[in-house]
Amino acid sequence: MFKKRSFIFILIFVFSILLFFSSGYSSDYPKKPIKLIVTAAAGGGEDAEARGIAPYLEKYLGVSIQIENQPGAGGKIAFEKFQRTEPDGYTLITFTFPKSVIIEYMDKTGYRTKDFTPIFSWSRSNQLLVCHADTFKSFDDFLKAAKSKTLAGGLSGRGSTTHLAGLVAMDELGIKVNWVPYEGSAGSVAALAGKHLDFTICLATSAVSLIKAGKLRPLLIFSSKRDPNFPDVPIPRDIGLKLTEIPAVRLAMAPPNTPSNIVKILEDAFAKAVKESDYLEWAKRRLMVIHPMNSQELKQLIENTYPLVEKFQGMLKEK
Amino acid sequence: MFDYLLQAANIVIHWQNLLALLSGTIIGIIIGVLPGLGPSAGMALTLPLILKWNPTTALIFMGALYKCSNYGGSITAILVNTPGDASNAATILDGYPMCEKGKGGVALGLSATAAMVGGTIGMICLVFSAPILAEFALKFGPAEYFLTAILALTIISAVVQGALLKGLISAGLGLMLSTVGFDVITGHLRFTFGLTAIEDGIPLIQALVGLFAVTQALCLAESAQSISRIGKLAGGFWEGAVTYFKYPYRIIHSAIIGLIVGVLPAVGQSSAGLLAWAEAKRESKHPESFGKGDPEGLIASETSTNACMPGDLVCTIALGIPGSVGAAIFLGIMIIFGVVPGPLVFQEKAQVIYSLFFALILTSFILFLIGMTIARHFALVTLLPNEIIVPIILVVSLLGSFAIRNLMEDVLISLIFGVIGYIMLRGGFTPVPLLLGLVLGEMVEYNYHRAMMISGGSYSIFLSSSISKILIILIILSLFGPHLGIFWKKLRKMKGGKSYV
Repeated sequence: MFKKRSFIFILIFVFSILLFFSSGYSSDYPKKPIKLIVTAAAGGGEDAEARGIAPYLEKYLGVSIQIENQPGAGGKIAFEKFQRTEPDGYTLITFTFPKSVIIEYMDKTGYRTKDFTPIFSWSRSNQLLVCHADTFKSFDDFLKAAKSKTLAGGLSGRGSTTHLAGLVAMDELGIKVNWVPYEGSAGSVAALAGKHLDFTICLATSAVSLIKAGKLRPLLIFSSKRDPNFPDVPIPRDIGLKLTEIPAVRLAMAPPNTPSNIVKILEDAFAKAVKESDYLEWAKRRLMVIHPMNSQELKQLIENTYPLVEKFQGMLKEK
Repeated sequence: MFDYLLQAANIVIHWQNLLALLSGTIIGIIIGVLPGLGPSAGMALTLPLILKWNPTTALIFMGALYKCSNYGGSITAILVNTPGDASNAATILDGYPMCEKGKGGVALGLSATAAMVGGTIGMICLVFSAPILAEFALKFGPAEYFLTAILALTIISAVVQGALLKGLISAGLGLMLSTVGFDVITGHLRFTFGLTAIEDGIPLIQALVGLFAVTQALCLAESAQSISRIGKLAGGFWEGAVTYFKYPYRIIHSAIIGLIVGVLPAVGQSSAGLLAWAEAKRESKHPESFGKGDPEGLIASETSTNACMPGDLVCTIALGIPGSVGAAIFLGIMIIFGVVPGPLVFQEKAQVIYSLFFALILTSFILFLIGMTIARHFALVTLLPNEIIVPIILVVSLLGSFAIRNLMEDVLISLIFGVIGYIMLRGGFTPVPLLLGLVLGEMVEYNYHRAMMISGGSYSIFLSSSISKILIILIILSLFGPHLGIFWKKLRKMKGGKSYV
């Protein structure tokens, strides 16, 4: 009896695996499931945003979206594979731009972000300059202290999108900093809360709970617009500073040379998905900053970003 | 607080919540048993299914899944010598030798009971002292983390094998291998030889699969017996459960170790079980039986590992700072459900948080029930002839190794580590310190660099706080303690001799 039942289970298992491999062919797009590659492990910010938008894309495309995680080497493994992917619109990639461009300047790569076909970008990440609530009261205090001695500043990781903005800003302010790199924001925020560092630059979302509790104090948001989650925190323009802005946006791209009719269909689906009230509600709870950009705007952004990263590439590595 | 807990109990016993708890527990155990699938992948994969749930129910499900995957890993560690994650590495030391003696059922009974008792102790401490524990964790800066990792490595190298030099060689090999890949501090690639697959460093789970599962398959293939050398099972689940409570001192002692190191991100998860095991061996009157199937060793490692698990949640919930990849995902999920972890969460969302805590205490008991009814039968695996079990171990573990990143190179990495592990075993080295070196290597190196960057190049930072002074004394004792003892005895003998003359 027991054996018979387990045999049935095995059969079900085998068939469900076979189902994964079966796929139909047809002329009009889209007719079969679309694979969306996430260049990080399951569970991170990129993964969560991909899984969050997928159900709404499915609604407008009429086919299922399958998320595939291809972590490794900061996404380089996935990017290199993606460069050689068939441009049929059934394989897309999502990541935080300009991560891929930074990787190009850090080491030899077998891909170019310029070659990929941009589709849509839906959200923006803001970088925050934070200190312990006991150390500095305002950005001016910070600036004064930083000019009189070398402060120890936390970095959320070398080569990640998120830190370049801060590095560039500090450079333009003429501040010398002992940069202490971490792997992700968690480590540097913890070290800051324990007063082992003088300040840190991290994603706004990583520090929000300690800021609300009054343990950490936000001094500046590196962005051209104020963050709705931190309405009181100044941006450079508010305090009379002019800083180069490095974008950090979550986007989806198609392989090189994807036909424009496919791009159009995908772009429309994304544009409708990010207007869904359920999706906006979800994004709000995640403290995301929704910032839609279509394929033309993205193309422009990518072109503008290359010279920026090139200019500051020396900061990515220790000389 | 008791009001909150009573309310929470009331919420948790709703049938939806109980069902969520039960399914989270079962899925967690299955995920833990499967090689390559850890709590992070498990939570990410099940998240889309529960997005529409009520926040309390959803968090209960995720909490149970997160906590129980660790227990699943201990089942494979005991039965086939393959830990599911680095946190189960200590389980194999005494768990697997017990299986070889035919006591697989007893070992499973012990580990299920330990999961219940250790998990409950850990959770109760989390409920009553999470904010205090979190403050303690914040006192650890780069210098303290560096010293803690070094301490864990020296204690374990010194004790696991009983031969300090061989242990240190194995740990040193692990540290060397951990330098492969992207260097977070300088931003350069090291020792990758142009291979993209190891740019992130040697992948841990893939190496672990090789060092333990593949090595194990090679060792088993040498003989035509079964894992249980006596060809039958001696003693069952209940014998294990009863034996467990015969060591009350060991239980308390190991739970305290698990709790203290559990609060520290990364160091805790991988070394809590090993440290408790090492302490048990050091204090034992018969240390030679450790590593050969001593139930006390298994009790120590399992109780500590399970008491340590809630520690991972301390900083995540009380500060909003995740201590591990799994905790980071759990934090992300909490935010999605509108519960933003941090110092204020105990006031703002008290009901959800205390319901989660209560559910996590309850899940320890459900775990035990599942161990008692289902997992105990897994002991039969140890009776399968080697020609059947070896291919199964190889296929399942290599599949797991491939599935993590969908990379064929990872399978190759596992196979290479399998051969390394086999050669080490034949040469009289145990791969456990190597694994720990590989896990803690980045921690040691990066925190050393960070400490030096903060201090501006002065070594005094390693002596600046009282925590680091204590850690340095403990490191010296763990390395030279036995020698100091001998030296002391000699000195006393000499003095005694003189006075008689």
